[in-house]
Amino acid sequence: MTSHWSCGRIAHLLLWCGLAAALLMVSIPKIYSGVTEYRLRPGGALHTTDSYLKFATGREGVSKNLISMFDSMPMSKPIVIFIRRGDAFSSGLGMTTAYLASPHAVRLCEIDGTHPDNELYRINPDKVAAVVLCRLNRPSWLPAGKVFGPGLEIVSIGEKG
Amino acid sequence: MNALGLFGAFATLFAAGYGLLVLLIHRSARLSLAEQIAFSWLFGTGAVSLLLWAFGFFADGLLLQGLVSFVCISLGMVGWNLKKPSQIRSKARWFEVVLTPVIAIEIAIVFYLSFVHTLGWDGLLNWEIKARYAFANGGVLPAAYFSDTGRAFSHPEYPLAIPFTELWLYLWLGEPNQFCAKTIFPAFYVAGTFLVAAFTARLSRRTWLGLLMAALLFFVPQITVEVGCASAGYADFPLSVFYLAAAGCLFCASERGNDVFFRLYAACLALLPWVKRDGLILWIVAAACGVFVILWRRKSPLSLVAFLPGIVIICAWRLYLNAMHALQAVDFLPFNLETFRTHVDRATPLLSALLAEFCNLPTWSLFWFIVAVAFLYALPRMRDPGVVALLLALIAPIVLYLSLYLFSSWPNYLDHVGLSISRLLMQVTPVGFLLIALAISRRPERRPQRVQMPNRATCAIARSERTAVVELA
Repeated sequence: MTSHWSCGRIAHLLLWCGLAAALLMVSIPKIYSGVTEYRLRPGGALHTTDSYLKFATGREGVSKNLISMFDSMPMSKPIVIFIRRGDAFSSGLGMTTAYLASPHAVRLCEIDGTHPDNELYRINPDKVAAVVLCRLNRPSWLPAGKVFGPGLEIVSIGEKG
Repeated sequence: MNALGLFGAFATLFAAGYGLLVLLIHRSARLSLAEQIAFSWLFGTGAVSLLLWAFGFFADGLLLQGLVSFVCISLGMVGWNLKKPSQIRSKARWFEVVLTPVIAIEIAIVFYLSFVHTLGWDGLLNWEIKARYAFANGGVLPAAYFSDTGRAFSHPEYPLAIPFTELWLYLWLGEPNQFCAKTIFPAFYVAGTFLVAAFTARLSRRTWLGLLMAALLFFVPQITVEVGCASAGYADFPLSVFYLAAAGCLFCASERGNDVFFRLYAACLALLPWVKRDGLILWIVAAACGVFVILWRRKSPLSLVAFLPGIVIICAWRLYLNAMHALQAVDFLPFNLETFRTHVDRATPLLSALLAEFCNLPTWSLFWFIVAVAFLYALPRMRDPGVVALLLALIAPIVLYLSLYLFSSWPNYLDHVGLSISRLLMQVTPVGFLLIALAISRRPERRPQRVQMPNRATCAIARSERTAVVELA
């Protein structure tokens, strides 16, 4: 070996080639499974919220229905969204609904248990456009609302016009 | 129609960024095509989002879009008139010829991934939500949004670089479109890849090493496929690219008289707090590194002006939030000595969590282990201010981020760590690649006057482009 290929240089080369090879060996299976896990689907304007809501409610194209439903409600009144404390699905559903409810003001109410009876009693129906129940049971005294799958029900309180 | 709108949005973004880039380098440096594309994208997104916010105080709708487009096109024309030809390599080596299509395939995969997956949770509910609401209000975020307690989950106090870049796409598309909004994130990946390649080539004087580092960036699962990855619609990866640009430019600027890269550093630095709230911490670290380089190289005190744009952005955004009565985040307790004293016992569990994260192979593969080896290589070279600045830029944010968790207000602060630490570490990952490149190249301490490879882009060459050596290149 000449000084151009000294022991130190060879060790340096081996070390970094080894590290690069090890990095690739560990990474490639993970990245391969990540890349091949899902297939390409046509994407729409509400591509992400539709996927979230399909996951939560089992229904396709729910976002558009929710937007048109909220549009039919008086804009001056807020939407009250009930979610369940400690239930990630419920709060995710509530936040996605709040996202779609714009430009309405929203109130997110987190409750313990699955029956929001006490909280609903306290609401003045004249001051609310709708009540949204995310993975919660509607009390029997509250009129039935529009149901989007098993986890989401929207009870319209006062229609526009 | 969507394709035409996207083309218009991207063209104006690049035009604005290119104009700013050319004005900043001002005929005094020649950048490679990859660097021009990357910096044009970064400056374009920064400028357009800032312009949308600033012009939004007195205009909305078509007038707002028209005004911003006019500025973008004007900047593009100025840039075109002042442009200099890119550096053209005479001959590529076989290894470089192999690596170039590999990088192209990796970029194609990141684009594919971004269209396969939906926007991530934060991507939708922290970032895209602002673009959507601003679009529905004529391009201006409604004042009521900032104080709407029902939407506090969307962090109204977060800055607007990412959402207003999405808004720019929406204004050109004529509708909010969650699918098209995702196109900006692979573009940040492209910019990041190009910058890793370019900075590595400059600091090691080996183009093949730059291409190799750029190719390896793809093999960090946190960047490619994990939660919060480059294609998820989160602000962390774009922030990491801005930080890489700032750190890389500062490394180049640490050579005597390299004012061009110092100006580029200042521009990237200013945009850090505009990308994400955490960018303020990166701004502090990068600014401290900048002060260190200024002192070490005895640069003119006027160099301190470089910090002014960032300070203006930070203060302006803070004043705006106060004026809007924006809700404040509740993730952290008050930052004071009393809180620190009562929570200092968290230090050991936090260190353990950090070490566990470093060793998390599904998320990071061997990346942090390799960085540790590179760190050992860098230790004997601490006389080089660029190396010291690079080490500081890598380590200080990690220490500061970890310290922040001492003040976490979450009932279980380790949940807070578990949920966010991988994304915070991702913000410094590209800088880690520069450190690895430095170790692999085993570059001797720099002597800027001795440019040995005239056909290679180096920081020293970029410093004084008018020399005969570079004219030849």
